[in-house]
Amino acid sequence: MAGDDEKVKKTPQTGAAGPRKLDRRDVLKGLSTVPALGLFGYAWHRQRQYQQARIEEAAAAPVAAGDVQEINVALLGAGAQGQVLTDAMLRIPGLRFRAVCDVWTEYNQKRVVNSLKKFKHEVNAYEDYREMLDKEKELDAVVIATPDFWHSQHTVDCLKAGKHVYCEKEMSNTLEGARAMVTAARDTGKRLQIGHQRRSNPRYLHSYEKLLGEAKLLGRIVTINGQWNRALTPDLGAPDRYAIPEARLKQYGFRDMHQFRNWRWFKGLGGGPIVDLGSHQIDIYSWFLGVNPSAVTARGGNLYHDPATHEWYDTVMTVYDYDTPVGPAMAYYQTQTTNGSQGYFENFMGDQGTLLISESDAHAAKVYRDPNAPAWDTWVQRGYITAPKVQEVKEKAEGVTDVRESVSPDEHKVPIVLRDPVHQPHLQNFFDAVRGKATLNCPSEEAYATAVAVLKVNEAIEAKTRLSFKPEDFTI
Amino acid sequence: MDGTLELGESRGGRDVRRFTHEAMATVFEVHAVHPDARYAAQAAQAAFELADRLEGELSRFRANSDIGRVNALSAGGSTSVSPSAMDCLVIARHVFDLTGGAFDVSIGTGLASLELDADNFMVGTTRSGVRIDLGGIGKGYAVDLMAELLEEWGLDLALVHGGFSSLLALEAPAGLDGWPLTLSDPADPSRVLARLSVSQTALGASGLRKGDHIVDPRSGEPVRRRRGAWAALPRPVEARAGARADQGPRIAPAAVADALTTAFMLLDPGEIEALCDRNPGLEAWILLDPADSRHGEASLLHFSGTPQAPPPAAGRPQPE
Amino acid sequence: MEDGKLSRWQMIAITVLRVAVGWHFLYEGIAKLSSPSWTAAGYLKQARGPFADLFKWLASQPNLLANADLITMWGLSLVGVLLILGLFTRLACLGGIGFIVLFYLANPPFVGYFYSIPTEGSYLIVNKNLVELCALVVILVTGSGRFAGLDVILHGLFGRRTPSR
Ligand SMILES: NC(=O)c1ccc[n+]([C@@H]2O[C@H](COP(=O)([O-])OP(=O)(O)OC[C@H]3O[C@@H](n4cnc5c(N)ncnc54)[C@H](O)[C@@H]3O)[C@@H](O)[C@H]2O)c1
Repeated sequence: MAGDDEKVKKTPQTGAAGPRKLDRRDVLKGLSTVPALGLFGYAWHRQRQYQQARIEEAAAAPVAAGDVQEINVALLGAGAQGQVLTDAMLRIPGLRFRAVCDVWTEYNQKRVVNSLKKFKHEVNAYEDYREMLDKEKELDAVVIATPDFWHSQHTVDCLKAGKHVYCEKEMSNTLEGARAMVTAARDTGKRLQIGHQRRSNPRYLHSYEKLLGEAKLLGRIVTINGQWNRALTPDLGAPDRYAIPEARLKQYGFRDMHQFRNWRWFKGLGGGPIVDLGSHQIDIYSWFLGVNPSAVTARGGNLYHDPATHEWYDTVMTVYDYDTPVGPAMAYYQTQTTNGSQGYFENFMGDQGTLLISESDAHAAKVYRDPNAPAWDTWVQRGYITAPKVQEVKEKAEGVTDVRESVSPDEHKVPIVLRDPVHQPHLQNFFDAVRGKATLNCPSEEAYATAVAVLKVNEAIEAKTRLSFKPEDFTI
Repeated sequence: MDGTLELGESRGGRDVRRFTHEAMATVFEVHAVHPDARYAAQAAQAAFELADRLEGELSRFRANSDIGRVNALSAGGSTSVSPSAMDCLVIARHVFDLTGGAFDVSIGTGLASLELDADNFMVGTTRSGVRIDLGGIGKGYAVDLMAELLEEWGLDLALVHGGFSSLLALEAPAGLDGWPLTLSDPADPSRVLARLSVSQTALGASGLRKGDHIVDPRSGEPVRRRRGAWAALPRPVEARAGARADQGPRIAPAAVADALTTAFMLLDPGEIEALCDRNPGLEAWILLDPADSRHGEASLLHFSGTPQAPPPAAGRPQPE
Repeated sequence: MEDGKLSRWQMIAITVLRVAVGWHFLYEGIAKLSSPSWTAAGYLKQARGPFADLFKWLASQPNLLANADLITMWGLSLVGVLLILGLFTRLACLGGIGFIVLFYLANPPFVGYFYSIPTEGSYLIVNKNLVELCALVVILVTGSGRFAGLDVILHGLFGRRTPSR
């Protein structure tokens, strides 16, 4: 610091000789940059306020993170869907995977165990779920994604062992099986969520609560149509070297590897495309209408596939009748597996507008206002729907304005973007319910009503007649 | 960009089965030799489903894909991603480093601002506005994984490609020393530039038709340095199904080749040569634009590693 | 400095520079302090260049890392406050230079290390870190705290008695 002194000597204001002395000027100069610190403090304070507000906003939205108690989970059924659910669960904080159970120990079980290992979840692997329930005492919840015909037994036993259960749709391939699940959930007081994941999808929730519930954009819904069309694909196979020994296949109810991989197509194991795909969407029909159907008519058959290897119908077309509080409604649904045209969607048509909604982004959600319906400006302003896409008036080549057959309705988008995998919100809702912080979006009673409506389609095809429902059919 | 790499007439090609599927805005194909048609179709279908799944994770056009979420991050934010997305980002950053930024999945929006925590599959960003597009690497990555799956199914004599811009050749059909491939002029596909015969090799191809250009991520300028570029990499034994330990980064030669060709459209021949020298086994071809080359005709330059390097798996090209 | 003093306006300009650099340091420090999960690990792990291994090693040592985190957070804040106030200015400058050298070396835009090009601009050898470092050198050698800052008072109170000219 010697250099300092030298320099200071030269500066006149401190150059005064004699006793150390600070004049007013020095003090002012000394303090001259202190206000900058004050300014910094103020700016920082404002910045903090802003950030705090953002954090509170975020926290107010879904569940607040923080000190959540860890939930011990096991996966039962590590097939295609089990893997999808696992990927989604890995994104949910506060879960600890403890075990994976799958009878295909050579392949699916290994895959899931390995992918969990990557995420630092060390799990025990089981072939027999009973052994898992015996040994894994600290389990809180089991997520079940086995073939439909196993759901009931797996769910009931897990509930009785004191675990909360998330079970994939279709709840069960039989109504007795589904009833047993509802009863077991009631008896044990454990949570049972069924995997109709659209019930937790923000896009569907927004449409249900805001667009239909609050704004009543569609007016009275009179008709619905929906579909799930899938392109032709080869039957599912398996790598030869990972084939399951026949004895084990038999033990778990499968005739051979073909049936094990393609259980959906077999009577007594699955329900065919109408149950596999239709149940997702027919569930939405009843949810949005607020009532269960009163009757069903259906046609279906094996138009393309060999009934020896595909016992259930590859093509189904069905019509439901509903008696809603505001009047009758009718809903069409089709599924076929030879051509994927237009994929999957549900289309709700009311006297004031139309809602086209889908889990897939290809159709996303759009609402169309009937030209005679009252203006939707309020809902646009509130952000419930986007401003309408301007409809161009088409000019003919000669420059004459085209005479339009009917005024095309304004198209509005539903401004909800899902950033998570589609099953994540539904799983999140289940785990929130396990923590007592939410109620289930698809409790077993609701899913039972859907199972009643959907399983009846196969019956109606066989009976070749219109079958009606009584209200008490849907309750237990 | 398609059509610059093609499967030649396979002389022993009678037993080769071919399966096709659309994904990632291109057409994927599996060519495989197997006695059982149904079994081969099921294996190919499983591979195609894998490509669809990867598209769901890697596409920037899907709001809820891993990349969709990464692109929506604002400064200081982070999100968890799938192991596949992490693999692609790690490889992308590696090739960015290797090529001095000529391959940049962020196209100049700030790859360096992404924080990749590969142990925990978390991606964070230190600034807003980083936009990732895995278009130049995702197809290759899918091809790598599909090939592994085919091996798992026992389809060892196979070739997989995505729109012929990323290709992976496994073992060649019996009687052939390699899968016959041709490199052709993007501006004139009938003009064959070189013939290769490859096995256990990844190939990438990029090409520009008349009037096309690409954006140099280093300058943000649209450029047209050359008409086509190809890269070939041997597929190491460790990349084969089951050979890899389950931990650690995936060895994905087709993803790397895919990424490298994009860079080879921009890098100076000297830089490409240096890269090939430093990476034994790596081979590159570039097709200069007529304006750039001496004879006023689009001419093909070929680079391969130093002589002391082990012989590359890709067969020697025989110029036409 | 030998050939003459700086003019009043020059000194004012340097003081403004000092406060600005201080502000930046203080906010860098405070922002890290107020983010509970901040750690230098990410930055260190991504280190490039000749010292990358050293930085990466540092990131892998939990104990060292915790210290490095604390030192960085508090150090940056302290340097910032001192620079704004003009208190112990030279010491603060030296501290600040030390930090910047570390940051610079963790990601140097040297020739041949193209990959570390920060993408909000283009740099070769000189990047913003280096410019801020130079600013600190200017502040250091001009002793700006003695012109406007608490150093004036400090010096008035405790400085050695200086003879009249
Ligand atoms: N919510 C959705 O979007 C959705 C989508 C697809 C499937 N699913 C449902 O998920 C379930 C599984 O379908 P998938 O496509 O994954 O079928 P899958 O055949 O791919 O997987 C079923 C898995 O369960 C295993 N398994 C069979 N019996 C078992 C037993 N007794 N104990 C333990 N493991 C057993 C099999 O080894 C296989 O790994 C079905 O109920 C299906 O309806 C739901």
